[in-house]
This record gives sequence, C-alpha cells and structure tokens, in this order.
Amino acid sequence: MLALHNTKCECGHQNAVGTVLCESCGKPLMEDMENDAPLEMRYDGVARRSQKSNPNPIDKIWNFFSSVKIAVYLIVITLVTAMFGTIYPQEGSFLNNFKPSVYYEETYGLPGKLYYKLGLSHTYDSWWFITLLVMIGTSLVICSLDRVLPLYRALSKQQIRKHLRFITRQKTVYAGQVEGNTDEWVKEFSVHLKKKGYKIHTDGSALLAEKNRFSRWGPYINHIGLILFLLAILGRSLPGWQMDSYVNIPDGDTVPIEGTNYYVKNEKFTVEYYKDEELPPELQGTIRAKKYETNAILYKCTDNCGDDATGEPVLQQVKQQEIEVNHPLKHDGLKLYQFDYDVTPKLKSVSPMLVNKETGESYGPFELPMKDAPLDYTLGPYKMKLAANYMEFGIGEDGEPVTLSRDPNAPAFIFLITGPGLPEKGQPYIYFPMQKDKEKFDQDKLNASIADKLEIKVDGMDNVHFAEASTYLNVRKDKALTYVWYGAAISMLGLLLGSYWQHRRIWLRIDDGRLSLGAHTNKNWYGMRADVAYALRKSGIAVEPKSLDNGGNNA
Amino acid sequence: MGKYRKTVQIVILLAVLVVGGYAIGNTLFAAKEEGIPKIGEQPPEFTLADLQGNTHNLSDYKGKAVVINFWGSFCPPCVKEMPEFERQFEKWKDSGLEILAINLSEDTLTVNNFVRRFDLSYPILRDVNRKTEHKYGLESYPTTFFVKPDGTISDVFVGGMTEKDIDSRVNQLLQ
Repeated sequence: MLALHNTKCECGHQNAVGTVLCESCGKPLMEDMENDAPLEMRYDGVARRSQKSNPNPIDKIWNFFSSVKIAVYLIVITLVTAMFGTIYPQEGSFLNNFKPSVYYEETYGLPGKLYYKLGLSHTYDSWWFITLLVMIGTSLVICSLDRVLPLYRALSKQQIRKHLRFITRQKTVYAGQVEGNTDEWVKEFSVHLKKKGYKIHTDGSALLAEKNRFSRWGPYINHIGLILFLLAILGRSLPGWQMDSYVNIPDGDTVPIEGTNYYVKNEKFTVEYYKDEELPPELQGTIRAKKYETNAILYKCTDNCGDDATGEPVLQQVKQQEIEVNHPLKHDGLKLYQFDYDVTPKLKSVSPMLVNKETGESYGPFELPMKDAPLDYTLGPYKMKLAANYMEFGIGEDGEPVTLSRDPNAPAFIFLITGPGLPEKGQPYIYFPMQKDKEKFDQDKLNASIADKLEIKVDGMDNVHFAEASTYLNVRKDKALTYVWYGAAISMLGLLLGSYWQHRRIWLRIDDGRLSLGAHTNKNWYGMRADVAYALRKSGIAVEPKSLDNGGNNA
Repeated sequence: MGKYRKTVQIVILLAVLVVGGYAIGNTLFAAKEEGIPKIGEQPPEFTLADLQGNTHNLSDYKGKAVVINFWGSFCPPCVKEMPEFERQFEKWKDSGLEILAINLSEDTLTVNNFVRRFDLSYPILRDVNRKTEHKYGLESYPTTFFVKPDGTISDVFVGGMTEKDIDSRVNQLLQ
C-alpha cells in the first residue's frame, strides 16, 4: 500500500514514506483534501525514521521497539509484575540460614508454595523481570532516536511560507483583510511578537515566529536520564559494583569483609540503655537500647589476602571511627552501618594460676585463650603441655570426651603436667574455666589423685576475659547509586524543560490583502491565543482570544 | 544521516544484545549459585594447607577421582565415618583414588589429636574462618562430594556414610 503512495508534494519536495505533512510547505499529504479538521501536528508531521516501504528483519525488530504502543504495553506489564513482588517478602530481605524452599510454604501455606515455585519470591532478580527492563530500555532508546532526529531536521529547516491549508487548519487561526502595505504590516506585527520573546523570520508578506523551541528536547533529555538510570541498575550485577552483607564481630576480634580486600576490627562495642524514668510506664522494667556504637578499625590487607592465601594476612590500618546507627564508616565507596548487637558474653580467655595445694604456693598467672591456645607452659618448677582442648565439652557414645561444637560454650583443656612429685611422663589434668562446667562434669573427680596436689584456678574476675558483646555491621557498597542520582537529575531536568516551557509558533501569509494566520503550541493553548491576540490588537486588529480557537480539543 | 541508518540500527541492537544478554545471563547464573554444588557441576576451587603445611589446590587433582569430605570433630557422624573413609582409602588408593578431608575451621591441637587418634593417612586440609565451607554453601555436616576425573561432581552425600555407601560411589568414580 505504502509503496504505491506518491510521496512528492505539489511544492516539489520529495518526502519520505510515512510523512503526514509536507516537510517543506506543510501541505497535508495523506488525507482527503475536503477535510477541514485541525491537523495532527505530532513530530511536525514528519515520518518516523524507521518507517520504510519494505522493512528487512532488522527493520522489523527496530520497528517493534520503535512503537509507543509496545512501550506502553511493556511499562504496564512491568508495573503489574512488580506488584506481584510485593505480595510476600522477597528472599533478599532475610538474613542468615534462610531456606526459601521451606519458608514460604510453612509461613503462607499453598499460596506461599506457589509463590516460591513461580519464582515470585525473587521477582526483581528474575530473568523475565530483567528482560522486561532491558526491553523498556531498548524501546526508550529506539523510540527517542526514531523521533528526535527527524523532528530536529524538520525544526532546523523550516519553510517560512507555508501552504494555505496548513495555516488554516491549525488549532489557533485568524483570517481577515489587511489594509495598506502588507509588508509594512508584517513588519509592525513582528515588532510586537518580538516583545513577547518570539524569534521572527519573514519572507515578504509571509512570517514565521517561534519561541522556546528547546522545550521540545525536554522529553528526550528525560529519556537519556531514564536510560542512564536503567543502565545503572543493570550495572549492579557487575562484579564489585554492589554488595550488601552482614558481619558479626565479637569485641576485640578482626574479621575479613567477604568480597573485599578489607578487614574490620571491633575495638569496643558499647550500648547504653534507657533508665526506667525515661521510659513510658508500659515499657518500664524492659531493656531498651538508647544508643549503641562500635569503635571500629578498618584495615586493608596488603599480603596473604584472599580465600586462597594460607598465611596470616598482613593488615594496614585505614581508618578508625565510632560507628553509630545512621553514622556509617565510609571508605572508598564501602559503608559499614551499625545494624544489630548481641550482648550474650562469650568467654575469650582466662589468666589462671597453678596452685600447689600442699604448700599453698602459686605460679602464674598464665594466659589461656579459648581458641588456638599455646601448647607449652612453664610455671615455677612445673611444666605443662596442652594435650587436648574441647570447645564444648561432652562425653560421646563411646565414653570418650568429645566436643559438641566449635564455639567456646563449655571449654575444657587437658594438660599434661610434669614437675616435683609427679610421674616423669606427666600426669593429665583437666581444667574447666567456667565454674558451671567445673561442677557439672565434676572436675576434681575426673582429675582424681592429682586434684589433691595441684589446682589450676582463676583468681578473681579480673582474670577472666569475656567478649562481652558482638556487633553486627551491615556492609554496603553501591557504585551504581551515583549514576542512579545522575540519571534521576537529568531526567528531572528534561521533565522541567518539557513542562514549564512551551514551543509556540505562528505562521502567517497575506495573499492579495487577505491575512491568514495559524499558530501551534504543544501545550497551553490559552497562552498561545493570548500571544496572537495581543500582537493582532497592537497591529490594529482587535479580536477576542477565544474567537481564535479553531476547535480540536485544546486547553 | 540516511546512509548511517543501518549502521546505527545494528550498533544499537548489538549494544542491547550485549548489555541485556549480560544482565539476563547474570540472573540465570545467580539463580544456580544457591546451595551446595550439584551433580554435574564443577566444585569451587580452593587452596588449603594440610597438617604438614603443604598447600593443596583442588585443580592439582584434575584428572583424578577425588572425594572431598567436610568434617569436624564436633560432629558425631563425621567422627564415625572417618575410619570408614580410611579403610576405603587403603582399598582404592592404588587405583588412583584421592581423598581430601577438609576440617571445618577447628584449631590445630584438636585436628592433630583427632587425626592421631584415628591414624588417618589421607590428606587433612585446614579450612580457615569457614571460608571454603561458605564457598561450598554447606548447611549440614558431614557433606561429601565425589568428583570425577573430568572435574565434575558425580554425587553429593549429606550425612554420615558407611563403608558400603562409599564403596559403591567410588566404584562408579573409577570406572
């Protein structure tokens, strides 16, 4: 069909396939000549770039994305599916030991199971959701490009003298007789339009006045911002661009931050609670944290780093700071937020003495950490060798001592002691640092005969070292965020350009003393008519702005 | 502009293909990463020291049938299956079986005592700060991976294994 259409205008201009209004004189091309309804002025009537008479496969893909109708469908589908993602909590909102396969069914029953099976429990990371975003992005680029380039061309080489039908079928029109010298009249008319900020182009008795053309670029600038925004969001999947993880650090410990080259030490965690009188009556007697903070040190690893290093990592201090809620430690795009804490004390080390029960003499104290304790100790005349240790002491099925976990919940140490009055090959001694374990497992009975001669004991609480608290920090990194903000700013700029200014144009020509005037704007027709009426009145033609309205649903 | 139209179209569609393909591919790949490695996949690489301080890379064992076993002295089924693995190792080592038993980040003394008690002859590797364990996404212990000479997993067993369990799987591995 299209191929048969004659695209040459009567003014001699050869137009592209799909052109609605002649690119040169503006004559309506694709419709019945008798029609007098206001013209469709979108994109100034030029053809979209991709409109071709015989599209090849690439053109067909291009045309698919070039369609605004498709873009609207894509946006609607994305909005609806994004809503599904809000029915139940997303997988990403849970912390440790979260088993989605069990959780959704247990918590929400059959709908939960379906929700999980359909993959809606991770809607925003699913391949189809990302595919939709990619398609919207593509459509944004192609739709914009296909329209902005022809529009730019059309607006930068506008013909001043337009076809009469083009002028009389605008939505704001005036027609009437002009007395005297027509060129003089046009000159005077243009002076008044200049006052309103119009740029004037004249061609004898024809005139084109134009104002705020830049506002037409607003939507495209907006789209550039949106594309940057989308790319930034997709960029989050690049390695090292985004992380959101949690570390648990007991007081005094240094732990690696996974996925980075950094280590973080919890120098001291402090928590302050509300006093009873500060709380409302219904909360009195409960423990409410007022303020909690971690004195943290961030280290950079310089040697023996990474998962595959076998030696001790070499650390270099980068920064020390108090981390408080909403006051993260920031370094090189990495942010450490105070997230939670645990104040259950954990035994770290003890400094016990070796006491000779018969003489009352005591030796020590010596430092005994719960983890990786040294193997040899010399205390006065005695030598002790650490023979075994248990993090959580227990007796196994076979009657042998075993450890029930790898955390120091009920630590026990077996020493082989040699010295005066003891057998040469040494005598074993089991030591429970915690009083509750000492009683539970009956330390003295286990030690039997040696229990009467020697005792390892801690002298006072000063010699017991607890990690009193452990702090939970949220480690975040988001390189994409900067670009997201830039994208949002550009898109807002485009929005402002497009909505606070209007592109207004007035065409007129005088043929044998008869003035024909047409005006077009992309919004605010009220203002358009006021501008025209003002200039006409100043040039001696009094009209009501309202009478210029040519219909066509204008505001 | 007209003569560049086709080039511009192709460049933009290619860019979409690359960027979009990367983003979509990533989501498909990420979905696979949850949980422990599965049959047919390649187990994650690790570099760990044994009790003598020699380092072992998993990649060093490419071309051999490897059993990767995660164990801790605090886990009774792990303790129970260690002698079974030892007997199996004796049986198959001449046929080329390798066992790598990765300890779950316990201290040196505990591991040494344990190995001495059971007189184990296959390499015991020391995980540090639960890194390798996290890499493998372990949720319960013991967990054993049977890796074919081509480097892919032929079977995964979660829980304590008897000699018979091990034997049938090793048999398959060495075929």
